[in-house]
Amino acid sequence: MATVLFIPGLVCDGLVWRAAQAALGDLQSAVADISAHDNIPDMARDLLAQHDGRLILVGHSLGGRVAMEMARMAHGRVAGLALLNTGIHSVRVGEEGKRHAMITMGYAQGMAAVAAAWLPGMMNAESPPNPALMAKLTEMVVRMGPDVHARQLRALLTRPDAGASLAYKGPMLLMTGRQDTWSPIVQHENIRALCPQARFEIIENAGHFAPVEQPNVVAALLANWARVVARDDVTRDRIPETPLYDRPRGNLGYALNKMAMGLSTPQGRADFLADENAYLARFDLTDAQTAAVKSRDWAEMVRLGGNLFYILKLSAVDPTPIRAIGAAQAGLSMDTFLDTRLGKVTNG
Amino acid sequence: MAKLIAGIGTSHVPSIAAALDKGLRHSDEWKPFFDGYIPAQEWVAAQNPDIAVVVFNDHGNAFFLDRVPTLALGVADTYAPIDEGWGPRPVPDFVGAADFAWHLADTMVENHFDPLICRELDVDHGMQVPMELIFGRPEAWPVKVVPILINTIQFPIPTPQRMWELGRTLRAAIESYPTDERVVVLGTGGLSHQLQGARAGYINPDEDRKWIADIGPNPQRYRDMTREDYIDVFGSEGAELIMWLVMRGCMDEHVNSLCRHYFAPASMTGAGMVLLENA
Repeated sequence: MATVLFIPGLVCDGLVWRAAQAALGDLQSAVADISAHDNIPDMARDLLAQHDGRLILVGHSLGGRVAMEMARMAHGRVAGLALLNTGIHSVRVGEEGKRHAMITMGYAQGMAAVAAAWLPGMMNAESPPNPALMAKLTEMVVRMGPDVHARQLRALLTRPDAGASLAYKGPMLLMTGRQDTWSPIVQHENIRALCPQARFEIIENAGHFAPVEQPNVVAALLANWARVVARDDVTRDRIPETPLYDRPRGNLGYALNKMAMGLSTPQGRADFLADENAYLARFDLTDAQTAAVKSRDWAEMVRLGGNLFYILKLSAVDPTPIRAIGAAQAGLSMDTFLDTRLGKVTNG
Repeated sequence: MAKLIAGIGTSHVPSIAAALDKGLRHSDEWKPFFDGYIPAQEWVAAQNPDIAVVVFNDHGNAFFLDRVPTLALGVADTYAPIDEGWGPRPVPDFVGAADFAWHLADTMVENHFDPLICRELDVDHGMQVPMELIFGRPEAWPVKVVPILINTIQFPIPTPQRMWELGRTLRAAIESYPTDERVVVLGTGGLSHQLQGARAGYINPDEDRKWIADIGPNPQRYRDMTREDYIDVFGSEGAELIMWLVMRGCMDEHVNSLCRHYFAPASMTGAGMVLLENA
């Protein structure tokens, strides 16, 4: 069973995840420690080394960026990716000076001063003050100390452009607060543009600290999402290199298979042969699916939800031996494919 | 009452049809495969069956993914070969045993199997190939047919145990049908093969040979295997073998294996056949 790994943001710890962790019930979970490094790749590497097996990553703010880096480094281990109040953009003009000023403040005036200067702008400005919450968060910021603060701000200042490498294809949940002015809704829409499979939830009456501003709402969304991800992860492709045509693949590949099914009539085949682009445009294919069909990339078509019983009909308009389709998926030359897979000729 | 005279398990690989269409019956590559069916063809011809019940899966031809019946039953008067992308194959239409098929529909539902009942249905290689392997290429088929179609493509596919029970129900329908017609049941598909994913081209001749040897005398292991076990051992499309359990479940506990044949690879598939008679 996959482990839910909660990754807190800047000078935060398990306090931020208390409600979500409690809501998980039987699901195994852990809170990540990203206090030791001053750059995001080292944080990600360290967490991948410390936490075994399949992971459901839940990252808040800076933690979201660490989660994306982990997914980039080890996408095969990431069963699901939840990103809260975060973004993918690289360092912005003017950001460096402001962050260095905060580092200086942490050492010169202490972390309580940092908390007082920083936290209020992170909250939903429209909600009444919550002194009890502010006291707990201030205590946490002080607990983390100026060295962690400085290291994590340096990590933010050297952050990679996460959008350039965000190619995660698995289950994804995006969340931000309606009143989060630091990581606003549009930043999450930008992520969803890269990962269209993502579900996006906007938390009402919450700012940048949605997990503690609306703990019950966020916890319930996260827990129900993580339970489904963990359940699906158990049965997913248990048999290596064998993509079963199940609901996720059916959802992914329906239009692609429907396009191929259209080739089972003389009219469909004539239309395809007369103008392949126009034929493909009739179906609701993704750009990647269209490219895979046009390049006759069989492995990619299967990866994008194609099922051989349907996409094989492409070989009726563009003859391709079934064994060549097999070899292409296996990533082998035809000779090696025949020799190592089908060479066991036994008759009688 | 009607009589079950034999159960036949056979592959239905489309390349077999292509080989026949291209006149490769006697080629070096295919001759040993086709010759292996001769004893079964002769035995069946001598028995003069009237009805063939053919259990197979549609391969995305009669049914698209917009609606996928887990279990479907043909009650049509005729079944034409379907266009799978290359135009309909030049094999004769199949005449349906419509009256028996409706009796089977009644028996199924009374026994809590609820099929999609198909009054019009074109059939793909899943039905054509087994018929050609057992009855050759006649001008007209010597038997009437009843197609039973099982979903083996989109998960969830039915369980092996359910296929066995369907076989028991089919037997009850045959033995309660008030004619003296003689029925053969063909369970089709397999043996080991995988068309999808990086494991494409996987075959397992050792397990295929065990299957051919044991499906008659020792079927219990195959009833107990899970669907995942089938895919693990026989490949993603090798799970079609669950359809042989309908045929085997239809037979008595004790059977004689009259003919056995195995050939690999037929295209990308371990291909084989058994002919069983109640002992």
